[in-house]
Amino acid sequence: MAAITTTAGRRAIPWGWIFGLGIPALVLARIYYLVNVVEVRDYAFFIGAMVQSLQLGSLYALIALGYTMVYGIIRLINFAHGEVFMVGAFISYFLFSGAPFALPWALLWSAVLAWGVAFILNLWRGSMTHPTVIAGGLVAFAALTFLLSTFQVNWVAALLLSMLFTGVLGVVIDRVAYRPLRGAPRISLLITAIAVSFLLQNTGLIVFTRNQTPFRPETDWTAFLQFDVLGGTVYTSRLMFLIPILTAVLVTALTLFVTRTRLGKAMRASAQDAETAQMMGINVNRVIATTFLLGSMLAAAGGFLWGLNFGSLNQPAVMGILPGIKAFAAAVIGGIGSLPGAVIGGLLLGFLENFMTALFPRQGDFPGLTEFKDTFAFALLIVVLLVRPSGIVGEDLSEKV
Amino acid sequence: MSDSRTRLRNVMLTLGVGAIVAVLLALVEGNGGAKLNDTLALFAIWGIAALSLNLVNGTTGILSLGHHGFMLIGGYVTSLLIVPADVRERIASQARSDMTPFTLSLSVENAFNAVGLQALTTPETLWVRFLVALLVGGFVAMIFGLIVGIPSLRLKGDYLAIVTFGFGEIIRLSASTSLFSPFTNGALGFAGVPNDFGKSIWWTFAILGLTLFVMTKIKFSSFGRALQGIREDEIAAEAMGVNLARSKVLAFAISAFFAGIAGGLWVSYLSAARLDFFLFFLTFFFLVAISVGGTGSYTGVLMGVAVVVFVQQYGDPLEKTYGLPVWFGVIGSLILIAAAGGWLYRKTRRMRPVLHPLVVVLGLIGLGTLLFAIFGQNSPALDGTFQAFGMRRILLAVLLIVIMAFRPEGIMSRAEFSWAWALRERKDQPSDEERAQDAWLSNPDLNRGSATSSEDPLPASLTAEDAPNAVPFLERGTKPDPDEPRYGEGRDWQPEQDDEEEGR
Repeated sequence: MAAITTTAGRRAIPWGWIFGLGIPALVLARIYYLVNVVEVRDYAFFIGAMVQSLQLGSLYALIALGYTMVYGIIRLINFAHGEVFMVGAFISYFLFSGAPFALPWALLWSAVLAWGVAFILNLWRGSMTHPTVIAGGLVAFAALTFLLSTFQVNWVAALLLSMLFTGVLGVVIDRVAYRPLRGAPRISLLITAIAVSFLLQNTGLIVFTRNQTPFRPETDWTAFLQFDVLGGTVYTSRLMFLIPILTAVLVTALTLFVTRTRLGKAMRASAQDAETAQMMGINVNRVIATTFLLGSMLAAAGGFLWGLNFGSLNQPAVMGILPGIKAFAAAVIGGIGSLPGAVIGGLLLGFLENFMTALFPRQGDFPGLTEFKDTFAFALLIVVLLVRPSGIVGEDLSEKV
Repeated sequence: MSDSRTRLRNVMLTLGVGAIVAVLLALVEGNGGAKLNDTLALFAIWGIAALSLNLVNGTTGILSLGHHGFMLIGGYVTSLLIVPADVRERIASQARSDMTPFTLSLSVENAFNAVGLQALTTPETLWVRFLVALLVGGFVAMIFGLIVGIPSLRLKGDYLAIVTFGFGEIIRLSASTSLFSPFTNGALGFAGVPNDFGKSIWWTFAILGLTLFVMTKIKFSSFGRALQGIREDEIAAEAMGVNLARSKVLAFAISAFFAGIAGGLWVSYLSAARLDFFLFFLTFFFLVAISVGGTGSYTGVLMGVAVVVFVQQYGDPLEKTYGLPVWFGVIGSLILIAAAGGWLYRKTRRMRPVLHPLVVVLGLIGLGTLLFAIFGQNSPALDGTFQAFGMRRILLAVLLIVIMAFRPEGIMSRAEFSWAWALRERKDQPSDEERAQDAWLSNPDLNRGSATSSEDPLPASLTAEDAPNAVPFLERGTKPDPDEPRYGEGRDWQPEQDDEEEGR
């Protein structure tokens, strides 16, 4: 989180300038070469790639925020975050494709969701047994039961309810699996996180589905869109507006929450020094629960948008792994523990990944770099961890002596 | 008993147990049926892999999550070198295969032919070729272990874990790319790997025994103590002269070697090499085995592997199709048990209120589900069946979460099985040297003060046997002296004064 960073001494080599100007220059040169010398692509193709990278990068940023917030506070690589993302996607799928539900199912759904409403009210009122909280939960329970058993759920409601549900899941995971291990070695916590991720993958196989699932809510936002630019045609969809804008809204809301509210201030304090924060009267467990709530909500939004973007969800056991680890790579690239870092890292990873395949297409004997797309994120993660663990904007939070 | 006799006895006991195990294995092979045979072979193969992972995770204290990658390398190299000629012809005729004539000609058989060892290319000597292929696979995995280890072991803790995970996934993902598919046959993989070894309990248990022997030797060597020193405190270990980077990389490479061996046997067990045999779940299973058994204890690791293999092999009733009433009954009972556990937990911890709302709600939900399952069996809502695919893995994941929450050091912690423990011996028997010292000290010539004379008071014949009642060295200081009054006896005992002035 927003921590004070000091620059100790002057760095001899301005790596920031070298990479910041050198990589775009190389990319532009390569684009010029591909368009004007080899003539295998036109400029519109790269505009399209740009749009696609922006979408993908926004999705990575949404997931990466969850990693970075949790790491910033309890120094845990939340291995299960990719699976939380998967659960968010599937929950929204079942909400918009399943509703209206039969009464028992509607009761079950709204019980969990109402608990989530109560939990959010509790963050405001400070106690789960406060009259406002209990009343709010009961009202939400009644309203949601009526809503889910009567109406179809459109995509906005599905997105919001899925965020709520997944936020509750994040809080429950923290309470059940991570909280008993507060103060334990970080490695034990990491092993538990791996176990939780495995648990969610296989529970998803049982509860959701075992197959790839088409993901097509009724919305105009997925309609195709094409426009002419620079003597070519860019083929894209209206999601090129929806995904970045929604991401920007959510990130802004999160930033406002973290910087403008008391709980956000407590979060920043806990990220700097949890022990001292506790001595100052901050309920650190509550802060951590809030962190899991917010991170999981963003992951659920990411999952919904991921489904929209690709039109289908992979089977639960594998869906969360690659996006999760790539988003973690994005968080590390940006600087883990830093909110702007996660967004920058996510966008950067989206661009690098997309342009790597766009700039090196199949040409003659050269098979192209498309097949190395997934390897690339891992390689980038490893290189960043080895060379500059603090990432672009963050401070070095790796285990010190 | 003297040291050498104790050691001899221990070796004899170990050999005896080995012989009993061999007889049991022979009985199983004759009458046990295919499933038990497979289970034992699987236990041995996963045991090798888990032991090798334990050298890094348990003994050295580095969390490595890339073991499935090293197993993949060992497995693919072994199968490339051992796959019979007819399978090679079939691969050569496949249009989708990327394998070149050169890579197809890479086999132990061709190598033996080239150096004039035609005697070892007969079907009867397949085991020689298999062992060579297994060793080569192990060494290639070891080289990759060095490549991965040298850069990444500069990191610590969870960053190191994530980097090793990244390398494991890179190995798996790039095995199917055009760069490596001439060697791995891309996504098609190899079929027809001879399974006379991976399914043979003799071979697998022999290699497991060898691995266990090597691992034990490593653990109790000075190198192994250096590794344990690194686990306990890196800075202290470095101050004691341990070369951190060298020790860690060496441990990692040895671990990768045995992982490669286990990969070769795993491929042979499955009689095929495909990429989805080497997913992260392998590393996860070994992690469960290590955490359940005891991080750093080889005895514990083998116990943990037994648990994992048992769940994997005999847990298939969990994944069968059952009617909905059965499911509702089981789920209701589980929720009820959880509620009862919560109540008990709060009661023993004297937490108030004992009946927390969550406990009450859980209990009511569980009871309701159970009653519905019992009395509503014929209702249309429970008319259907359900199959819980993946229940075994869920069970293992829950086991790991519970173990990490309640006993993170595992069943055995870091203790090892030893014959002294099994026979209820005192752990700190005086050594031969201590006995000799005792004999020397109780030499009557010493007490007469002849030590000042020029002749040596110590007769050359004094040995450990001359002081049969020697006190173990560690207990010497703790034995009460009968002449010394015990604390508080024979003195004017007074409570210490609370000197309140002192602090001011």
